[in-house]
Amino acid sequence: MTAIEVPGGPAAGLGGRLRLRDSGIRRLFGALVLVFVGGYVASWLLPGFGVFPESWDVGFAEPIDRARRWLINNQTTHGLYTVFLNPISDAIDAAIRWIESALAWLPWYVYPAFTGVGLWWARSRMAGVLGFLGVWAIGVLELWEEGLSTLALMGVAVIISLAIGIPLGIAAWRSDRFAKLLRPTLDAMQTMPGFVYLIPFVLLFGIGRVPSVISVFIFAVPPVVRLTEVGLRNVAPSMVEASEMFGATDRQTLRLVRLPQARPAILAGVNQTIMLAMSMVVIAAFIGAGGLGQVVLRSLSSLDVGRATEAGVSIVIMAIILDRFSQGIATASPGRDARWIRPIFGGTVAAAVVGGLLNHSAFPEGLNWQFASYIDDAVGWMQIHLYDIADSGIGTGPFSDFVTLNLVSPLRELFSSSIPWPVMIGIGVVLGLAARGIRLGLGIGAALTLIGLLGTWENAMDTLAQVVVAVVVTLIIGIPLGIMAAQRDRFQTALNPFLDFLQTIPSFVLLVPVIMLFHVGRIPGIIASILYALPAAVHYTDLGLRRVPHEIGEAADSFGSTRLQRLRKVDLPLAAPELMVAINQTIMLVLSMVVIAGLVGGGGLGFEAVKGLRRSDSVGSGFEAGIAIVLLAGILDRLTRAVADRLRPPPAVA
Amino acid sequence: MTEAVRTVGVSGLWKVFGRKPSEALAMAREGVARQEIQDETGCLVGVRDVTFEVNQGETFVVMGLSGSGKSTLVRCMSRLVEPTEGTVEICGADLTAADAAELRELRRHKIAMVFQHFALFPHRRVVDNVAYGLEVQGVERNERQERARELLSTVGLDGWSDHYPQQLSGGMQQRVGLARALAVDPEVLFFDEPFSALDPLIRRDMQDEFLSLQERLQRTLIFITHDFDEALKLADRIAIMRDGAFVQQGTAAEILTEPANDYVRAFTQDAPIAKVLLACALMRPLAATAPEGSWGRISTLAPLEEALPLLLASPNPLVVCDGEGEPVGLLHGEDVAEVVAGNSR
Ligand SMILES: Nc1ncnc2c1ncn2[C@@H]1O[C@H](COP(=O)(O)OP(=O)(O)O)[C@@H](O)[C@H]1O
Ligand SMILES: [Mg+2]
Repeated sequence: MTAIEVPGGPAAGLGGRLRLRDSGIRRLFGALVLVFVGGYVASWLLPGFGVFPESWDVGFAEPIDRARRWLINNQTTHGLYTVFLNPISDAIDAAIRWIESALAWLPWYVYPAFTGVGLWWARSRMAGVLGFLGVWAIGVLELWEEGLSTLALMGVAVIISLAIGIPLGIAAWRSDRFAKLLRPTLDAMQTMPGFVYLIPFVLLFGIGRVPSVISVFIFAVPPVVRLTEVGLRNVAPSMVEASEMFGATDRQTLRLVRLPQARPAILAGVNQTIMLAMSMVVIAAFIGAGGLGQVVLRSLSSLDVGRATEAGVSIVIMAIILDRFSQGIATASPGRDARWIRPIFGGTVAAAVVGGLLNHSAFPEGLNWQFASYIDDAVGWMQIHLYDIADSGIGTGPFSDFVTLNLVSPLRELFSSSIPWPVMIGIGVVLGLAARGIRLGLGIGAALTLIGLLGTWENAMDTLAQVVVAVVVTLIIGIPLGIMAAQRDRFQTALNPFLDFLQTIPSFVLLVPVIMLFHVGRIPGIIASILYALPAAVHYTDLGLRRVPHEIGEAADSFGSTRLQRLRKVDLPLAAPELMVAINQTIMLVLSMVVIAGLVGGGGLGFEAVKGLRRSDSVGSGFEAGIAIVLLAGILDRLTRAVADRLRPPPAVA
Repeated sequence: MTEAVRTVGVSGLWKVFGRKPSEALAMAREGVARQEIQDETGCLVGVRDVTFEVNQGETFVVMGLSGSGKSTLVRCMSRLVEPTEGTVEICGADLTAADAAELRELRRHKIAMVFQHFALFPHRRVVDNVAYGLEVQGVERNERQERARELLSTVGLDGWSDHYPQQLSGGMQQRVGLARALAVDPEVLFFDEPFSALDPLIRRDMQDEFLSLQERLQRTLIFITHDFDEALKLADRIAIMRDGAFVQQGTAAEILTEPANDYVRAFTQDAPIAKVLLACALMRPLAATAPEGSWGRISTLAPLEEALPLLLASPNPLVVCDGEGEPVGLLHGEDVAEVVAGNSR
């Protein structure tokens, strides 16, 4: 969920488009022809036509594995651990345990009560009722303890994120130099699929909750840092002057004026951080985070779709509650009268203490009801009736096979072996050159070469093929939806709740329903990626079109353009930079999902990474796959951003 | 009359915005025009060699069109903007030489500002806005809240303390701004166009209230406005500012009767002079001849407006009397006619 700001004025695009067309396209075409000819010739001369030569593998996996072994052997003796890592690890571990036992001590009914009251206060009575029922549902599904464990882990990670993120944001606001250093770091952090963060921490800490918390923290911290800085920078100078006029010290102004004024922005950051933490804490099940994610993971691995669904539903309930609650707090305006909540809140706290002392902690036994068996039945039914309807060759199974055989696999073949690797690299260089310039071109070339040298060429091309398919489908669905949403408010209002919901689902959980329908393989991963990225594609298209100034559209109408003409000749070109942002976001989200889908037979880099996490003898190759994922993400992100910049109109002449 | 105590002294104050202030300053000293300096050095002369003094209890109004440097001047005087050159003295302390801690002390106890767009803190209740200055000083919570409520009632906002500023109308918001500035009991108050964001009717109410408040509190006030009528109404003394420099300073009567140049005259022409000028401003001293008993009488503080019908009714001058009814001067019809006619020319 990379939230890029979308700069660029509304009257965008037209000039940029023309520039690209005039100077760029013909030369770009020429360069590509050159690359093809030169690349084929080169790969003829070089060993291993097509696939990146295996003998060039730099063997990065070896030293990593050796390091891993060394780390395991020295965990109790070496200073790195005894002085530095173990204390951190112990502190985090203690914090998790402490919070977990505190949460477990509280009487179970405090949770639905607190959620209900909190959501009522932060949003509406209806939200309160739904939240109340939602928390109940988690208990009823017999996932209470797992839920608490996830909550504890989240809690620790979010607390660390805020305790470090907010001061970092303040520091970035205070010092421009620090901000200049921090911003690209955060950018890079946000382009990496969360999954990749697991690898280095497993290497350092092994499997468990501590590396989970740390990777969740790293993944979730950027938004709160960014938005703290943005919020502080946007405080009106007049407020600061008023404060200084009273002789306030800098600290006083910060505490009494700047931070409170930046509060909405900071809380928006907190909301995003919480949501990222939620999605990551589920993914961290891969490295032993436990909790609800663990249930999903275990059930998916054993294809126990029913149980996976129950856990998935619980996770979604938790995510929605946390999202709506933190959003409600972030958007609440000062001066709204909410004092009525105090006695109710006080009562809840009192009940918590009394209930805790009376040992009402556990969720009541007799209250459970599970629907896993129904799901399993449904899956069984589907296996008979949907995967291959009456053996006719029609159904989701044949569909998967068809798409795999006719689209995904050929594309993978094309990228990884039919097109020789020097040509692929050449194409990357030329695209980078055309989009921004020599530095981006060479950077992409270097990154692609490194992917090859790491011995991950084939897997990377496999992943790339999946990404391309998923991105194309997402855009084919998402852009028209965005256009319709921009043109009809009613359609937008109808679509929004659905997209909001889709966006709240942690990525990993999205796999569950897809697997229900499509079994394992590359297709469920691709479909989950499409669902995951669709909201962003629709949203940015809609946003871009809505930013086209009204008069310009009317000018087009005044020439008697049809709706379609206006869209094609005016609206879409003007919205081009935002459309490019839509494409950028789609690609990044798809990539992060495709990687996770390695778990359910998605293959490619994701599978290597998953294997590295699960088998201690594959840590090295997992690490290599992780680096390749980061490189791939970086290439795709820079390239699409460069195109988006190019599409922006030239700055106005002063 | 008690002896005047000087509370504010500004001398040779300059503010140059830009990267080469010393170059621009040198050019300005040689009399080069503002625009030319800007073209040459890229620097903008915001305040140009301003010197004036204000006494305790006096209201000093700085009047000028938008962009003439009024805000820059008050901001230099409170060092929200660093002056390029010159000194500002407040209650005997040299503000321009003060270090950060001294400046803070001065701001905490001696000066306060009321802003054009109120600059209230939207995240604090009205009462907490008013208490802000005291909070910064470290005054204990109950005490500062009590004082804040007191001031809110002084400005007529009882019962609004627990609201948030944005829930109040513009006029009420500026009352909060006023109460906030008064809460720290400052010697000198700066008003930067405090009423120009308000509707005309509300503005008039606020001006009246400003006058009655000042009558009671007797503070030293530096008041910025672009509205000449407002200046005439509120000022003890007025300075007219143009392109960063003072073109003329004096009492309302001095400026109305002897505008320094055409620029000032452009303002005075439209001024309701008969309403503003007082009898004492135009009276001639009592000659050897005692005024006759049948001549009309008028107070020193009566505006010319009141004298006109009496003068028209009889060929004789009016006897101007002080507060005790003692004659202090004579007001002649031809003097009044000259000023009023000159004004409407
Ligand atoms: N920080 C600044 N940097 C550069 N120029 C400024 C700055 N502040 C004000 N000015 C310029 O100084 C001139 C006087 O501004 P100001 O004092 O705000 O005028 P007034 O308050 O009389 O409308 C204006 O031309 C304005 O553009
Ligand atoms: Mg101003």
